This record gives sequence, structure tokens and C-alpha cells, in this order.
Amino acid sequence: MKFTFQHKRISGILTVLPARELSFLEEMKNYNFPEARSLKLMEVMGYDKRRVAEEGVCLSDLAVFGLKHLFESGLLRPEEIDALLVVTHSPDYILPPTSNVIQGRLCLKQDTLCLDISQACAGFIVGLTQGFLLLEQESIRKVVLINGDILSQRTSPKDRSIYPLIGDALTITILERDSQSAPIHGEIKMDGSRGDALMIPAGGIRLPCSPETAVLEDAGDNNLRAKDHLRMEGSVIFNFVQTEVPPMVESLLARTGTSVDEVDYFLCHQSNRFMLQKLAEKMNIPSAKVPKNVVENFGNSSGATIPVAITFNLAEKLRNEHALTCLMGYGGGLTWAAMLVNLGELAFCEMITFL
Amino acid sequence: MDEFLKQIAVILEVENVNASDPLASFTQLDSMGVLSVIAMLDASYGVNISTTDIGRMSTVGELWAHVQCIKRGCA
Repeated sequence: MKFTFQHKRISGILTVLPARELSFLEEMKNYNFPEARSLKLMEVMGYDKRRVAEEGVCLSDLAVFGLKHLFESGLLRPEEIDALLVVTHSPDYILPPTSNVIQGRLCLKQDTLCLDISQACAGFIVGLTQGFLLLEQESIRKVVLINGDILSQRTSPKDRSIYPLIGDALTITILERDSQSAPIHGEIKMDGSRGDALMIPAGGIRLPCSPETAVLEDAGDNNLRAKDHLRMEGSVIFNFVQTEVPPMVESLLARTGTSVDEVDYFLCHQSNRFMLQKLAEKMNIPSAKVPKNVVENFGNSSGATIPVAITFNLAEKLRNEHALTCLMGYGGGLTWAAMLVNLGELAFCEMITFL
Repeated sequence: MDEFLKQIAVILEVENVNASDPLASFTQLDSMGVLSVIAMLDASYGVNISTTDIGRMSTVGELWAHVQCIKRGCA
């Protein structure tokens, strides 16, 4: 599905990271796996440092912290928020929606559209799309898009294929109208028939969490995980990304008459270093245009990795200048998406630590 | 096929690989090794195969035959 948005812009991006940092080198002893192979994983996949929330910290805690920071810094006024979107697959509760929880905790006005969107690694672009659509309404002038996940608690410490990769993060992106902005073009595709390649089987109505779903099972390759835990069919996801994402980006660039050279940055979901490298190679994109350093510094926090990559790599540049960026998200759903957007002159583009 | 054997040897970090070598004999062919093979097959041969597919192959030569089969459209 193709989208075009006129007169909209991203005006600020904030990343909120938990303070607790884990190190893959220190965690290697958790795995029944030769040390040399673990070190190889570190080199190839980018496993190194990652941020995880303390037990009991929920998404709304990070969101309230981040929004209060913006209020107190004079970068956002509470009464300006007409819509509050939360893109996550790790909500505080099944009910009420996390967006309503945040609205209530911050005493935001009742004329705030609160909307939770359950999407994963492509969630940032899905959220942007929904936010830009809402801005077509006369009554909605400013949208706060919150995209984040606390997934570290839903991964098995005995599963080397996922556990050392996952980090927790939350991002806040402000969307608003701007008559001077260049058109924003996007594409989104979905394929629910392949959804079981990336899933948490237990915890919903289909399979509620129980003592049985918490039992660790042999997942092959010396990995153990329970049905409560996130699981990923690595090779299926790899092939999915290599097959589906390049044609979508080519289509987006062709539709807008844009060459790879004209795009300053390809800001991909930070799945792991290996996949990003292979994707860049497949699309003949110069490696320098594809930041790949989020997993090794903060871990993979699902859809939030795109705004984390922006605030980590381009903060100073985007506060002062413009850059043509191609955002690329792909993963759970399965969902894949791309968006060509001119970013720049952001009122804020920074990272803060949750205390 | 010689080029294919060389590519497999690089991934598995060994000097030489023969078509008759059992895949199970390579300790480097863990989940990451398999992913590296899958990436190489995609990049060099335009073939997408899964971990499950590779698990069904017993030797390096059988994997090569499977790749050829997919390229001919018979698998």
C-alpha cells in the first residue's frame, strides 16, 4: 500500500533508555556454547552492550519520564497534544490501552485521541503513517508518537539466538503540520500468513501464561526457551527481509524519482549487524549511508531502533540541517515498510536516560 | 561447483571442503554458520533456502545439488 502526505513534518525525536547496561561478554557463561563461537557471534551479529529496564518498569514509566522531560524543557506543552499514539507489543496491560494510561498519568486533556497500535519492528513507520493520517483532521494539529518496547523480560536467558540481542527503549516523536514541508512518501505491506516466524506464543487469550507455558524447552542448538518467550525463525526472517525489502525500497525510490545517491541515510530497523550488512550489499547502498551501531550499543528494541538510530547518529546534524532519509522497517507481523522523508531543523533530537 | 566449495570453506573456516563431506561434521555449522550459508546462497546464487532445508541435506554435494535444482525451478 502506497501513501503520500503533504504538508506534514517530524519536528522532534527523543529517545529514553533504561540506565541498566548488560554486557554480552559477561553473559556468555549463561550459554552452553563454545567461547570462540560466542565471540564470533559478537563480531558478526554485533552483540555487545544493551540496555534493559529493571524488573517492574513498564512502557508508561519510560513514556511519562520522557514526556515530563519535554514539558519541563519547554519543548512540548501538554495542552498541545491532540493525539497520543503508542506503538508497542509490550503494553502495560491488556486493558486499558497504554496510551490511555499515559494520558491519565499526565492529566492530559480529554480531547486527546489515545490509540495503541500493536506492531513490531516496522512499527515506527506504521505509527508515522497513522500519525500523518490523523493530521488530516482539522482538530488534530499535533501528534505524539510513542514507539517502544520492554521485551527483555519476554526473552529466555538460555536462548542465545535472541537474549543477547534484545534491548529496551522508548522513543517519542512529534508530528505536526507544516505548509513548507516536502511531500512524504511511504509504502507498507503485511503478510500475516507468515506471522509465526516471529512471535511470543503465550500471554494472550489463545494461550494464557501458566506454569506450563513457563517451562523451558529445547529449541535446538543448545538453546532453551518457554512459550512465554519471544522466538524467531532466524533464517525465515533473513530470507523474508532479503526478498521483500529491496523491491519495496526500489519501488519507493522509483515512484519519487529519487536515486540512491540522493538519499543521505538509509535508516533501517536495527535487527542485527549481519542482516543490515547483507541488506546494504543486496541493494548496492554504500555502507556509510546505513548506520548499523544500535545493536552493539543499546540492543534491538524492535520498531524503536529507527528513532534510536536517528538520535544516536544524527542528533546534531538534524538539529541544524536537513537530510533526505529512507526509513526501512521489517519484522514481526510480518510487516515491512519504507518511508522517504526529509528530516531536519528538529526542535529536539536527543537521548536521555530513565532514572 | 569448485567456487561453491571454496565459498563454503570460507564460511566454515576450513582449508578445503569436499562434496562428500557430511554437513554434520562441521562444528561451525551452528545457527550462525547456517545463516551465513543462507546469506551466501542468496547473494551469489539468488536462491533462498531455510535452515530446515539445510537440515535435510546430509552432505555438501547434496546441498549443491539442491541449489542447482532450485535454480532450474524443480524444487
